Amino acid sequence: MQGVMLVMKSLKLNPIVLILINIIAPSMYIFINGKYLQAFLFVFASMLLILMKRFKSLVALFIIYFSMMGIYYMTVNSEKLQFIGLFLIVLVQSVPCLALASILVRKYNSAQLLSALETIHIPRVLVIAVTITLKYIPTFKREFSYILESMRLRGISFSLKHPIKSFQYFIVPQLFRCAALAEEVTAAGFVKGIDVPVKRTSYYEERIRVSDAAVLLVFVTGLAGGFLWKRMHL
Amino acid sequence: MEKNALVANNLTFTYEESSEGISDINFSINEGEVVLLTGNSGCGKSTLLKCLNGLIPTVTEGDLSGELSITGTSYSELRMHQINKIMGSVFQNPRSQFFTENTTAELVFPMENYGYKKVDMQKRLDELKETFGIHQLMNRNIYTLSSGERQMIALASAVTMNQKILLFDEPSANLDYGNAMLLGQIIKEMKNNGYTIIVADHRFFYLNGMIDRVLFLDNGKLKQYDSEDEFKSCNYDTRSFDIFSLDIPCRKIINHEKVIASLKNVSFKDILKDINLEFHKGEVTVLVGSNGAGKTTLAKLLCKTYKPTQGVVDTNELPFFIMQDPDYQLFGTSVINELTLVKNDLDSIKSCLRNLGLLPYRHKHPFDLSGGQKQRLQIAMATLCEKPLIIFDEPTSGLDVYSMHSVVGEILKLKEKSGVLVISHDYEFIRHVADRVVFLDEGTIKEDFILTKDSVSNLNKIFMHMQEERCNEKVED
Repeated sequence: MQGVMLVMKSLKLNPIVLILINIIAPSMYIFINGKYLQAFLFVFASMLLILMKRFKSLVALFIIYFSMMGIYYMTVNSEKLQFIGLFLIVLVQSVPCLALASILVRKYNSAQLLSALETIHIPRVLVIAVTITLKYIPTFKREFSYILESMRLRGISFSLKHPIKSFQYFIVPQLFRCAALAEEVTAAGFVKGIDVPVKRTSYYEERIRVSDAAVLLVFVTGLAGGFLWKRMHL
Repeated sequence: MEKNALVANNLTFTYEESSEGISDINFSINEGEVVLLTGNSGCGKSTLLKCLNGLIPTVTEGDLSGELSITGTSYSELRMHQINKIMGSVFQNPRSQFFTENTTAELVFPMENYGYKKVDMQKRLDELKETFGIHQLMNRNIYTLSSGERQMIALASAVTMNQKILLFDEPSANLDYGNAMLLGQIIKEMKNNGYTIIVADHRFFYLNGMIDRVLFLDNGKLKQYDSEDEFKSCNYDTRSFDIFSLDIPCRKIINHEKVIASLKNVSFKDILKDINLEFHKGEVTVLVGSNGAGKTTLAKLLCKTYKPTQGVVDTNELPFFIMQDPDYQLFGTSVINELTLVKNDLDSIKSCLRNLGLLPYRHKHPFDLSGGQKQRLQIAMATLCEKPLIIFDEPTSGLDVYSMHSVVGEILKLKEKSGVLVISHDYEFIRHVADRVVFLDEGTIKEDFILTKDSVSNLNKIFMHMQEERCNEKVED
């Protein structure tokens, strides 16, 4: 049985599962003990990354998570540097969620995301807005490298010595491109019939499978455990 | 039996925020015609296109009046998705062309929106693969395709819903000569199969002999020519339907001045092999070759973006690289500020702006300038930077013939102080600007010659060769 597990294909998940988890998980920090939730999400995200065979993302998650935690423990006792650690300990809470969101952006294309969102019956306008936002991320990544390259050629380097200046050179063109891009993406959608008032079908047919339900079950059980933990420690 | 595909009656549109627009447009296009829509930059071409595909008034706001109808039905009775089921659009910019990043997802995307069943989608997808010969391109990232391949996907995605009317927005802007001629061939086939085709473009050599009607826009007003011959005999510079018959005098040959940059035995991965080149001050070198021949890679080696896997790239200073899309290159808060980043000398900035006609715009934000003005701002930067080598990437793509001539003038001025390397597909522009031509093919330099009266035939041969290469490939499919 374990041998079967090893040769098993990478787990396929309906993107909607990842979207739901990403919506629910961060808001749970209000209800559940932060330390418990953070640890649970970290383990949960790592397991998912392993099952989906996203090993590069897994390594990135480990490095970022543990270096942030490391810096926190190193600086927490020094009064001067404490602020860095305190800043990081807030940020680190979102790292597992970001790891899961990265799968969403990298593994699924806009058409798949659209279809997945359609299955949970949210209004079309919202679906389009979310899809376009998600689509912007890979575009931004491409543009990021163009702009850095262009800054280098202009001799305006992105240096940490002048963070504000560098940031200004970088962010202003991005904002302008954002507006132009939004128009272009809207045009691309509209001439392809994004406004058709019938129910959208899907070529990729993202059904809810047993594996999807299982992953959600583990997630919900983990959260429930959090509530229990809280009660026991009151 | 001729039926009307598109009819416009007193069509008028003005934008909310500017006085630009189109007015009193009247035309009727029959089914099965190939129509060229042209005019100088800013003449209202894209406005008319947006009216035709319904983006005006659905997305762009403004004041629209008059009547427009498609296959007998008025636009006012149609929703955007109904119009786009009859008419497909091919945009110039991949970002507005493609909604997804994956070729297969892109082709099924419209069918999903229109609620096709999965079996029907698969059937149509197979038909499209067959018609356009794109079996190898399925399930790939669109941004890793070559521009010719991308054009095929764009075409296929525009007819997924069996649209019989097609709009092309500047299709030749990003295509090399071979691919543009191939596109011409495809348009001809589509015309024979009964498609109605409207092409908006500044260059139209690839449509030679197949145009039924020309819509010529001038400052928002329309002039119509009912045949290609009528258009050819009008007094607009029809920019050479037959580019090889152009009569352009060659410049005087200058003596080689000092070498400002060189490549010695340079190879880069499997893209470039054993390249030897020297660039001289006062010389305009034009790099030609098909898309994917390694032209941009060569420029990037000179800019030290890439390190050669073998050989030596020798430049004393980083060259100034003028990108095709100026938006990536503008960082300043105003035109003047942009130039002070290059050289902090207000007097030379002002005289430079005056020369380029940009002085009235000196306090504007660079992003508020028009496309042509942005390009002139880039040239202003190049003039001020005093770098020994200046590289241009496709400076005339999307420019009308008059703007092209002013770019020629500006490059000729630049070469008084520096060496210039230009990457270009634009034959007419090359004839006006080149002192020397370097032909890159499959990663090696196939030819390198000074452009004189006698060597013009060499250049023509290169272009013929690029066309044959592409168009024969298509036949073999």
